Amino acid sequence: MTQLGFFVNQSRCIGCFTCSVACKDWHDITATSVNWMRITQIEEGKFPDLTLFYLPIACNHCKNPPCLLACPTKAIIKRENDGIVIVDSEKCLGYIECGARCLKVCPWDVPQFENHNKAKMQKCDLCVDRIDEGKYPICVEACPMYALDVAPLEELQQKYGFSKEAIVFEFKDKYQPSIIFNNKTKEK
Amino acid sequence: MTEENINNNETKIINTACCHDCGGRCVLKAHVKNGRIIRFETDHDEEPQLRACLRGRAYRQRVYSDDRLKYPMRRTGERGEGKFERISWEEALDSVAEKLKLIKEKYDNSSILFVAGSGNQGMLHGVTSVGLMLNQFGGYTRMWGAPSYEGALFASMATYGTIMSGNSREDLLNSKLIIMWGWNPASTIWDPGTPLMLSKAREKGVKIVAVDPIFTDSAAVLASEWIPIRPNTDTAMLIAMANVIIKENLHDKDFIEKYTIGFDEYETYVMGKEDGVEKTPQWAESITNVPSKFIENLAREYATKKPAALIAGWGPARTMFGEQFARAAAVLTAITGNIGISGGYASGFMRAYYSRETIIPGKKKQEHADIAKIEKPKIKKLRPQDNPVDFNALPRKDTLFILRGGTNPAKTRIHYNDYYNAILQGREGGFPADIKLAYIVASNRLNQYGNLNKGIKALKALDFVIVQDQFMTPTAKFADIILPVNTFMERNDIAVPWLGSPYYLYLNKAIEPLHESKSDLEISKELAKRLGIKGGLLDMEEEQILKMLAAPRKDIKNFNKMKRDGYYKVKVDEPFIAFKKQIEDPEKYEFPTSSGKIEIYCEALAEMDNPLIPPIPKYLSHDENYDSPKTSKYPLQLITPHNKRRTHSSLNMPWLEEVEAHEAWISTVDATSRDINNGDLIDVFNDRGRIRIPAKVTERIMPGVICVYQGAWYNPAENGVDLGGCANVLTNDGYSPSGAFPLNSSLVQVEFHSKKKEDVSK
Repeated sequence: MTQLGFFVNQSRCIGCFTCSVACKDWHDITATSVNWMRITQIEEGKFPDLTLFYLPIACNHCKNPPCLLACPTKAIIKRENDGIVIVDSEKCLGYIECGARCLKVCPWDVPQFENHNKAKMQKCDLCVDRIDEGKYPICVEACPMYALDVAPLEELQQKYGFSKEAIVFEFKDKYQPSIIFNNKTKEK
Repeated sequence: MTEENINNNETKIINTACCHDCGGRCVLKAHVKNGRIIRFETDHDEEPQLRACLRGRAYRQRVYSDDRLKYPMRRTGERGEGKFERISWEEALDSVAEKLKLIKEKYDNSSILFVAGSGNQGMLHGVTSVGLMLNQFGGYTRMWGAPSYEGALFASMATYGTIMSGNSREDLLNSKLIIMWGWNPASTIWDPGTPLMLSKAREKGVKIVAVDPIFTDSAAVLASEWIPIRPNTDTAMLIAMANVIIKENLHDKDFIEKYTIGFDEYETYVMGKEDGVEKTPQWAESITNVPSKFIENLAREYATKKPAALIAGWGPARTMFGEQFARAAAVLTAITGNIGISGGYASGFMRAYYSRETIIPGKKKQEHADIAKIEKPKIKKLRPQDNPVDFNALPRKDTLFILRGGTNPAKTRIHYNDYYNAILQGREGGFPADIKLAYIVASNRLNQYGNLNKGIKALKALDFVIVQDQFMTPTAKFADIILPVNTFMERNDIAVPWLGSPYYLYLNKAIEPLHESKSDLEISKELAKRLGIKGGLLDMEEEQILKMLAAPRKDIKNFNKMKRDGYYKVKVDEPFIAFKKQIEDPEKYEFPTSSGKIEIYCEALAEMDNPLIPPIPKYLSHDENYDSPKTSKYPLQLITPHNKRRTHSSLNMPWLEEVEAHEAWISTVDATSRDINNGDLIDVFNDRGRIRIPAKVTERIMPGVICVYQGAWYNPAENGVDLGGCANVLTNDGYSPSGAFPLNSSLVQVEFHSKKKEDVSK
């Protein structure tokens, strides 16, 4: 089975949010509801010795996704041909009824719910519509810094190496998140 | 689009673009279904791709915003109150035409002020057609000066005789050191691909240093070193760097000898022989708050790591005496011989390709060197692009009118930041016109220029105000008649790059105009009929005009390809290096200055005989600087830069607003001493006004400085306090001798207001 994954070049990310806005436009997501592509800003230090990093994370489409096991209705499935983890909102019980078990087990808070009781889980589907047409996900094609890539994991590893480290990202071996980094070291 | 298409359920992709005044100009591919844009893609074709940033990606929320102006309106309440009634286009256009005729008859054409903004920029749509229409109507009073760059432009002209001083971005890879001075392209783009190229340079091992009062995204991500500097003092640090370089004999004497004039005069000043004060790093430390060892190290590094690119942003020049900053930076690049070579950079206006001009700027200079010697200019035939009110006017004082390609020096013009005084005082106050009517197009004028509260008085003093826009801006609230304009998605246009890279954009119309909105061209044509104007562009069709506008641009080899693809990328043989020819073959190629050389000492400035605009760059302080007596009342320096989630006051869309809250940045030190916590509402104020805004308490700004990003909309409470957080409530009108806008030269005080965040309305 092929497993598609993300490459994130953290040292390139200028925190411009273009990927995130492009994602909302493509998937027609209202502002202030949910974020499929989330950008964390990490500020450290005291004036004038400062560091600032950004980390864009969508869904890591894990090899062993904990959300999939936690879901009581099997609403979360993993596509066999490319390993994309998607959610069937018809089957999802919703935030209150289920207790958002998928969110509780995800180390990266990927599952997203709108702010109402019946909200169904939604998250990055790696733009399956575009992947099936042979295109890149919209975030990859949007990034003005060419800091994102999506391809079969082995291909990404050949191209960019095997780094599992990024500032404020915790790699979980047991879930095998499909993501590699060009990590930004504090020394630069 | 035909009826057939509207009923077609399939998605069509229309190649168009985003072209606001953000620093970009990028490709958008609109997916249109049932006559509605459902999503966008950007450039995914040949490299270099012109990828849109977040602003363009959010464009759907602008086009389909409920806040769009939907139909023409007439004011029913007081000016500024925002009370309007719907009227028909017939009625609106009749009443605009009638007023224009009346004002022209009663006074003269100079009583008509055309306020042309940058909110809606294409070659055709936006301000162009209205300007042509008013020219044919007998002209109007025009403004001079651009808030963005007037200081940088003036310095570029004075030093090099041209604004074509930039190198292609890919040439940054050939530098050994890059200094980003008050330059934050991570947020302000500077033509697509600029932040990417800086990142690639850093990855290649090029050292990048940022000098800025704020730890910007560029300073944090693109640079490896940040030197915080007190606003309005950058010139002192640049001059001290020259002091170190000259003293340690690191200057490029051959280059100075061969290509420049006036080094000796500068050396005299820098070494303290002119005024008894040597401009040492210690001298600069006390002014800039930058430790002298940092200044020394950067000076040595810059002079010895050749080639090195010192890129001076426009922000530090957006100050009182901002032209001195841009001049001092240009001169430093000259004395180290970093001009005209790959990997170097002639600090200046930064244009690096001709796509914005049909006549190459700075090619010729005029014969006269002195205003007094100028006879009445020769009368030539008035062309449609000539404004009769400006035509054959003598130059203003303190202009570089002998050089070609800078700001129009006509005496009939009023400085953009001085027009409130012009309206309020008129000819009696020494201004060239008595303004009675303002025709405001694509400009949120009130919000975006200095001293908003004076602006309110001025707009209230006018006989008639016309606003042509897409949204009910704070400025539109002062209109007597509002004309709703459509967006780029609703018409065809061509766009040139923001700064001037080698490409053009063709904006294909993606959807029919929404509501009752019309294009600026349609409005101008309708008014022309009513004003009895015939001929010229106003009789031509859109595409015919676009072809005509493209024709003088010889590098567009294939109009139809441009139209089909939505862009035209010009193939250039090698990266553009400004002044390469002049450096390689000085016998054959001169600099387009009076002397034919790089002017460290500028003769044209000497002739102005104004100590506030000296012939060599000097550090000059002013009465809203850190050392002013006013600091006892207003101890903080306000800066008003551009942020990443709007373009000036445009693009206030929900997807962008959620990216970054509009907050005043204040250092932990300054917040603590005022008992201010992060998120508290604070008042920022001075004698010009007061704004109420949440505080962002951060280490990312240097103590003594407060930052309110420009562009948030003025939203006054009944007591006059602005709850919108509009920076220009606090800034100064007036201008520096060069025309630089002092929008980063305001002293303010800050006080705690309340804990509640919710009090601030949007």
